Amino acid sequence: MKLLIFDSGPLINLSMNGLLGILEKLKTHFKGKMVITPPVRAEVCERPSRIPQFELGALSINALIEKKVIELPESIGINAKQLEVQTRNAMDCANHSFRADNHWITLVSDAEMSCIALAQLAKKEGHEPLLVIDERTARLLCEAPENIERLMASKLHRPVIMEKRCSTEFRNLSCIRSSELVYAAYKKGLISLTDQKTLEALIYATKYKGAAISWEEINILKKLG
Amino acid sequence: MVIIDNKKETTHLLEVLAQIQQALEQSDSFALHQLSDQLLHTASIQQHTDILTIAVVTYSLHKLVTKKERIPQREWALFIKKFNGELRKSSEALQEQDAEEFARHLDHAKELIETSIGKKMAGYVQEILKKASINKATKVYEHGISLSRTAHLLGLSQWDLLEYVGQRESRDSPYVATIDEKKRAAMALAFFS
Repeated sequence: MKLLIFDSGPLINLSMNGLLGILEKLKTHFKGKMVITPPVRAEVCERPSRIPQFELGALSINALIEKKVIELPESIGINAKQLEVQTRNAMDCANHSFRADNHWITLVSDAEMSCIALAQLAKKEGHEPLLVIDERTARLLCEAPENIERLMASKLHRPVIMEKRCSTEFRNLSCIRSSELVYAAYKKGLISLTDQKTLEALIYATKYKGAAISWEEINILKKLG
Repeated sequence: MVIIDNKKETTHLLEVLAQIQQALEQSDSFALHQLSDQLLHTASIQQHTDILTIAVVTYSLHKLVTKKERIPQREWALFIKKFNGELRKSSEALQEQDAEEFARHLDHAKELIETSIGKKMAGYVQEILKKASINKATKVYEHGISLSRTAHLLGLSQWDLLEYVGQRESRDSPYVATIDEKKRAAMALAFFS
């Protein structure tokens, strides 16, 4: 089964841009599920529901969960315990992969690593997971961990050493960002705006709400429209 | 709450604490801004919340110094005296490797901003402290720490951070782009077919 696994960032991004509605429409375009993990649910629903500024966003995402547009891992037969163990292993690996000044750098927390862990478990079960991750570090862990080493070394002005196992541990997982998600929605005709600039406006909106996408990538995406 | 186990970093932190006191006495807003960033390398590697507290407090002082004419002169002078007193005690605790006292005096210093100045400018001070946390968080994120981890370290929500992170990432980092964008776009389209 196809699984779209969301990190917190893209859901917050879509919520802040008033674009959560596209998820319901996109869901009808593939045979599969949209899934979030319990730590992501806590970050997108439970925590902001106590912050007046973000309460509406939290309620809107929660409504999608209640409608089963977005589901929890139990819906694909992965229980909380399994996910917790896998998340702990993934966190342990990621947080013991980069060293500076003889210190392991704690790079990630359980929210994004639970998404990666769920994708790993789902893949083992024969599913076809696709991660939706806006923030740079977790995506780089899957696609180019050596770039984290380079980025950190350039920012910290000191050598950063990457452990070898990190270069393969998360490699086989595929990621998109909210930018590609809105691109897909646009291409499928799910966006009601008809202006010629609609696609670029959608992509800019996702970038300015945290999608780690370069201007060069944005230009490519715009041309594909 | 941990004392830094690296002698070089401890010496650096002690120097920064002394420089913060001096910059505050001289109302040197620029120096306070610079000092608030100086600890971020250590904060990103060792992730001591105490160091992040110093960075947040120093950035808040940088903002407050620019508005000090709104605070009665006597009140401001008293605040500096008390604040620097707490930083001195905190430095002494750091030299003695007393983690608890080090953190306690840092917390007192932060509380002084909220209580001594906050009475007259309560809303403004709270806003400054929040913005200072967000400012430091976006910089920690720029150092390569994940957004969720960064939010956790600074006691913020990702909702607070995403807008600021999006606005700051205006320049392309050579390390952000990984796979070919055409391939990624095709992957997204294929998933929904």
